[in-house]
Amino acid sequence: MVTPIFIIATGLGLAFALGFIPKKHINLTGILSFLGLAFMTFISGQWLFSYLGNNELSQFIFTAGARPPFAIALKMGQAEAMITLLINVVGLLSAVFLYDKLKQIGRNAFIIYLVLIMALNVIVMTRDLFNLFVFLEITSIATAGLMLLDSNLKTLSAGFKYLLATSLIAGVFLIGTIFIYSFGGSLFIDDLTAIGMAPLKAVSVAVFLLMISIILELKPFPANGWGLDVYQTANPGISSVISGGTATAMLFALYKIMPLSTMQSYDILIWVGLITFLGSNLMGLKQSDARRLLGYSSIGQIGLMISIIGMKPYIQFDIQIILLAILITHLMAKAGFFWLTGIVGNTDISKWGMIRKHPEMLFLMGTFVFALIGFPPFPSFFGKWQLIMELSSSGHFLWIGLILLGSLIEAVYLFRWLGYAIKKETATQSSIDIRPHKTLPTIIFAVFLYGVGYLASFWFPMGGSINWLPLAFIAILFALDFLPAWIKNIISIAGLSYYAYQIIPEQEGLYLIFAFIFLIGGILTLIPGFTNKGKRIGFYPVAMMMFVGMGMLIEAQSMLEFFFGWELMTAGSYFLIIRGHRSMPHALSYMLFSLGGAYLIFAAFGIAFAGSGNFLMSGLSTMGGLGGIAYTLLAIGFMTKTASLGLHIWLPGAHAEAESDVSPMVSAILLKAGVLGLIITFMAMGGPNNEYTTLPYVLGWLGAITALVGNLAAAFQEDAKRLLAYSSIGQLGYILFALAMMTHLGWLTGIGYSLSHFAYKAILFMGIGAVVLRLKTHNMFEMGGMIKKMPFTFIAVLMGIITLAGIPPLIGFAGKWLFYNAIIEKGWYFQGTIIFFAGIIAFLYCFRILYAVFLGQLKDEHRNVKEAPIWYLIPQYLLLLSIMIFSAKPEWIFQPLGSMLAPIFPQGQLVWNEGGTAFSDIGYWNGSWVMYIIGIMFVMIFAWLFIQNRKPKKVKQFNIVYAGEKPERPETTHMAYNMYSGYNKALGFITANGITTFWNWISEHVTAMGDSLRKIYSGNGQTYVFHIILFVIIVYLFSNGGF
Amino acid sequence: MSIIAKLLWVLLGLFIILNWGLLMGALIRKIVARVGKRVGIRWYQPWLSLPMLYSTRSSISHGVMYYLGPVFRLSGGVGIFLFMPLIVGSPYFDNFSFAGDVVVILYFQFFGMLGMALGAGEGGHPYSTIGISRGLAQFTTVEVPLTLAVISLAIQYDTLSIKEIAAAQQGGITNWTLFTNPLATAAALLSMLGIFRHAPFNLVQAPNEIPIGPPTEYHGTYLGVLRTNGAILHVIEAVLFMNLFFGGAGNWIELIIKTFFIYFFTVFIGVVFPRFRIEQSVVWFLKVPLVLGILAILFMAI
Repeated sequence: MVTPIFIIATGLGLAFALGFIPKKHINLTGILSFLGLAFMTFISGQWLFSYLGNNELSQFIFTAGARPPFAIALKMGQAEAMITLLINVVGLLSAVFLYDKLKQIGRNAFIIYLVLIMALNVIVMTRDLFNLFVFLEITSIATAGLMLLDSNLKTLSAGFKYLLATSLIAGVFLIGTIFIYSFGGSLFIDDLTAIGMAPLKAVSVAVFLLMISIILELKPFPANGWGLDVYQTANPGISSVISGGTATAMLFALYKIMPLSTMQSYDILIWVGLITFLGSNLMGLKQSDARRLLGYSSIGQIGLMISIIGMKPYIQFDIQIILLAILITHLMAKAGFFWLTGIVGNTDISKWGMIRKHPEMLFLMGTFVFALIGFPPFPSFFGKWQLIMELSSSGHFLWIGLILLGSLIEAVYLFRWLGYAIKKETATQSSIDIRPHKTLPTIIFAVFLYGVGYLASFWFPMGGSINWLPLAFIAILFALDFLPAWIKNIISIAGLSYYAYQIIPEQEGLYLIFAFIFLIGGILTLIPGFTNKGKRIGFYPVAMMMFVGMGMLIEAQSMLEFFFGWELMTAGSYFLIIRGHRSMPHALSYMLFSLGGAYLIFAAFGIAFAGSGNFLMSGLSTMGGLGGIAYTLLAIGFMTKTASLGLHIWLPGAHAEAESDVSPMVSAILLKAGVLGLIITFMAMGGPNNEYTTLPYVLGWLGAITALVGNLAAAFQEDAKRLLAYSSIGQLGYILFALAMMTHLGWLTGIGYSLSHFAYKAILFMGIGAVVLRLKTHNMFEMGGMIKKMPFTFIAVLMGIITLAGIPPLIGFAGKWLFYNAIIEKGWYFQGTIIFFAGIIAFLYCFRILYAVFLGQLKDEHRNVKEAPIWYLIPQYLLLLSIMIFSAKPEWIFQPLGSMLAPIFPQGQLVWNEGGTAFSDIGYWNGSWVMYIIGIMFVMIFAWLFIQNRKPKKVKQFNIVYAGEKPERPETTHMAYNMYSGYNKALGFITANGITTFWNWISEHVTAMGDSLRKIYSGNGQTYVFHIILFVIIVYLFSNGGF
Repeated sequence: MSIIAKLLWVLLGLFIILNWGLLMGALIRKIVARVGKRVGIRWYQPWLSLPMLYSTRSSISHGVMYYLGPVFRLSGGVGIFLFMPLIVGSPYFDNFSFAGDVVVILYFQFFGMLGMALGAGEGGHPYSTIGISRGLAQFTTVEVPLTLAVISLAIQYDTLSIKEIAAAQQGGITNWTLFTNPLATAAALLSMLGIFRHAPFNLVQAPNEIPIGPPTEYHGTYLGVLRTNGAILHVIEAVLFMNLFFGGAGNWIELIIKTFFIYFFTVFIGVVFPRFRIEQSVVWFLKVPLVLGILAILFMAI
C-alpha cells in the first residue's frame, strides 16, 4: 500500500520539480502532471479498495513521526479515501479537459493546478486545524491563480473578489483556531473531540467561527456573490474543479469539524443549507447565462448537502451514505455540465439548440439534468429517497417541503434549458468543440453516473429489489440507436412483448387490467412507428423508458420501486412529448406538473414510511395519524397525471403537439398510470368503509367538474388533436368521479372506462394522427372530405366516436348505464347530473371531429391524399375488433371485473343471468340483445332503402341545393370554423382560462421574486465582503438568540 | 311466446304506431294551419305523400355516409320503438324492452341523430351543418332537466325499468307521476319542448331562414325514410313521457289519446311563443327547468 503522504509528496514535489523543466518541453510537463494526478488518484483508489474489502480501522499518518500536538496528523479512512478519490478523479479529468489551455499558458499553469488538487487532498485528510487553515489559504490562492488562466477584465475582477472574500474567510477561521487552541490545548481534531472542551461561551464562539468560515467557503446564500462571479467567468474546466473538487473538500472539512460543536450548530447547518438551496435555485429562475446558472445550481446543491450534514442527529440511517449518493451525483453531473458548457462554447442558454447537431452531446446533457434533479437511475435518486424517508420518520415535514420545493425550482430552469437544447430554433451556425480531450471526460462522468447509480441502489434498503434487466434493455437500445427505425421498432416490440410475457401472467386483479393497458397498449401503439423512415434518433429508448417505468409500477412491491418506475416513466414521457414540432413549452409544463405531483407522492410515501416503518406498498394503508394529509397528497400527485381540473393545463399542448404515434401512447396509456395511482390510493384508504369520507367526496365533485370543463373546452377547439386532448381531460374526469364513489358499481364504471378509453382514444389519436400526418395540419377547418380519401380511417374513427359517446350498441354505453346505476345507488345525484351533462356535451365534439375532418367539403389540395399507412390501421382495427367483441358480449369483460372488485367492494354487485343480462338493484341491460336488435334492424332498414333506391346518381361535391348558385370554393363552403359559436356565447364562460391565468400568475411571481433577490449581487467586491461579515453576525445572532 | 310470434306482434305495434304517427302529424299540421287562419292539408295527405316519395326513382348520392344517414335516422326511431314497452301489462306489446331499461332509450336517441348528422354532413351543404350544430348544442342542455327528472323517478320508484315505472302508476289517475312527483314531471315537460323542437326551440330547423339543408338535400326515397321516422319518433317519444309521467297506457286508445295531448302540448306552446336564438334557448333549459329538476331530486331524496 502506498501511504497517503505520497499524495502530498507527489503533488508538491512534482509542482516543485516542474519548475526545472525548460519551457519548451511543455509536453513533458503535461505528461508528468497527468502521471502525477493519476498516481494521486491511484493512491486514493487503492486505499478505498482496501477498505471496501474489509472493515479495517482508519489509518492515521503522523508526520515527523510524532503525535500531535508536536506534528500534523493525517487520516486516511474509508471516507477520506472515497472523497480524495473523487477529488483526484475530477482533478485528473479536468486536467484532460483543460489540457490545451494549460499547455497554452505554460508550465506555471500545471504547477498551480497540481498544487490546488494536492491542497484539496490535504483539506480532506488533515486532522489539524491550523494545517486546515494553511491549506484553505493555498486552495484559494491556487484557485485565484487558475482563474486568471482566462485573462480578461472580468476574470481579473472576479479573481480579485474571490481572493478578497476567501482571505477574509480564512481570517475568521484562523481566529477560531487560535481560540480553540487556547482553550483546548491542541489542534488535533480527534484529541479535541475526545477531551470534550469546556462548556464555555468562548469555546462555542470559537467553534462557531470555524464552522461559519467553512460554510462561507461553501458560498452560502446570500453571502456568495463572489463565488457566483467565479463560476461565471472562470474557464469551465476550473469551474468544474471548484464545483466538484473544492466544494467536496470543503464539505468534508465541515463534516470533519462538526463533532467539535454543539447540537445547536447542526440546526444552523440545516437552516443555512436549506435557505441556500431554496434561495439559490430561486435566483436561477431568471438566469440565462449557462455558467452562472450552473453556479446557482451548484451552490444550491451544496446548500442541500450542508443541510444534510446538519441533519445527522435526526437521521437513523448512515448519513454518510445519503451524502455520498448526492455528492457523487452533484460532483459528476456538475463537473460534466461545466465541461459541456466549454464544449458548446455559447453561454446563452437559449442558444443551446446548436448542441443537437450532436445527439450524443445532447444525451450527455440530458443525463446531467436528470441526475441533478434526482431522477432514477442516478445515485441522487436513492439518496434523496432515503433522506426524505428518514426526515419523515423523525417528523420534519417542513424540511421535506423545503427540499422538495427547492428541487422543483431547480427543475424549472434546468428543464427549460434542456428544452432549449432539444427544441429551440437557433440562428447561430457555429459548431461545438468536440475534440476528444474535451468530450472524453464528460462521457466518462456520464457513464460513471449510470454505473454508480446501479451500485448505489444496493446501498439502500429495498434498492436491491429493483429489476435492472429492462433498464439494461433501454441502455442497449441507446447503444443501437444508429440502426434504422424499423429494426429498432422490431427490437422494441420484441422487448416489450417479452416484458409483458414476464409480467402479465403473474398479475391478478386490477393490476392485471393495468398491466394489459400499459404493455399490450405499448405494443399496439408502437406498430405505427413502422411508417417512420430513417433512424428516428432517440425515440425508441425513451419510449421504452416510459413503458418500462409503467411496467415497474405494476411490478413494484415497495414504494421505492414504485417511485423509481414513476420517475422513469415521467422521464421517458417527457422526451416523447418534447419530440413534437411545437412541444417545447408544453413538455416543460408537463415535466413541472409531473415533478410537482411526484414530489407530493414522495412526501406521502414518506408519511407512509413513518407510519408503517417499512417500504412496502402495503405500508400505504398504515399511515398513522397523518393519513388524511398523506392520501390527499397522493391523490393530488396522481391527479397531475390524470390532468384533473386545476392540474390539467399541461395536457392539451403536450398531447396535441406530440408526434402522431406518440399522442396515443401518452393519451390512451400514460394517463392510466395516474388512474392506477388513484386506485392504489383509494384501496390504501381502506375501500368502501374508510374513515376518510371528505377526500372522495371532494374528488367526486372535482371529477365531475373536470369532465364538464374538459368536454366543453373540447367542443370549442379548432385543432383536431387538441380536441381529443381536451376530451381526454373530460374522460379522465369521469374516471376520477367513478372511482371516488367508492362503491362496487362506481369502480366497475371507472375501470370499465379506463379500458374503453384506452381502446377508443388509441383509435382516435391514431386515426386523427394519420390524418394529420397526411394533411400536415391540425386545423379541422383546413380539412374536410377525408371520408372519400381515407375510408378505413373514417370507419375506425366513427366506431371510436360511437364508443366514446356511449351510444348503444357499442361498449361505451356500458359506462353510461353503469353511471346511472352507480350514481343513483350512491346518491350523488347532482354531481352525477353534471357527469351526464358533460356526456351530452361530448356529442358536440364527437360530431365536430367526424364532420370537419371526414365530411363536408374536400379541399383541392387534398384531392390526392392517400389512405392512412397500413401500420396505423392495423392497431386501430385490432382495437376495434376488441371493442366489437366486448360490445356483443359485455359480460366477458364486466363479469370478471366484477369478481376482481368483489373482495374490495362486496356490496352492490351486478347480477348476470345466463342470457347475459346484467341486473343492478334498479336497472337491467343486455348488451348482446341490444347489439343483435340494432344490428338486424339496421341491416333491414338498409336493405329496404337499397331496394327502393338502388342506383342513386353519384354527384359532384358542389352539386348541392344552393339557391341556384354554385358555391365558390370548398374553403368557404366547409362550415367548420368556430362551429359552436352560439353555444360558446351561451356557455363558453365555463372554459375561460382562469386556471391557466392562475398558474401563470404563480410562475411570474416566483420568477420575479428570484429576480429581485438577484439584485443583492452588485458585483462590488466591498459589498461582497460586507455580505460575508453581515452573514456571520446574523447567523450568530440567530443561533444564539441574541448576543 | 316464440320469436316469430314476438316479431309479428312487434311489427303490428310498429304498424299501428306508424299510422298513428302519420295521422297525428296531419292533425297537428291542420290545427296549426287553422290557428294561422289557413285551411291546411287534408288529413290523409301523409298516406299519399309517403308512397309518392318511396316511388320516386330519380335520386342522387353524395357518398356512403350520405346514403346511410337516413338509415341511421330510421334505425334510431325504430330502435327506440323496439326498446319501448307500449301497453302496460301486455306481453304482446312490450317489444324488446327486456334488453334494457330507460337508460338504453335515453342514449339510443343519439344513434339516429348522430347518423343523420353525419349523413347530412357528407352532403357538404353548409346550412346542414349550421342546423346540426344548433341542434346538438340545444340538445345538450335539453337533456339536463330530463336527466334530473329521470333520476328523481329512479329514486321515487327505485327502478330504471320503464315497465315497472309505468306499472307502478296504475290504479287511478292520482298514482300518475304527474301527481306523485309534479316537479319531475314539470322539468321533463319543459325539456320535452326542446326534444320536439317546436317554437320557441325550432331555430334548429329554422324553417324560414334556412329553406335548404337536409330536407332539400334528402329527397325522394331518402325523404320517405325520414318522414317514416318522423312519424314513428314523435309518437314513441311521447310514449316515453307517457310511460314515465302519465300513467302509461292500458290499451291502444289510451295510448293514442295520451300521446296526442303530450305532443300537442309542445305544439301549443310553439304556436303561442316566438322563436329563441340558439344562445337563448341553450341557457333557457339551465334556468327554470334545471331548478325544477334539482327540486324534484331534493324532494324525492329527502
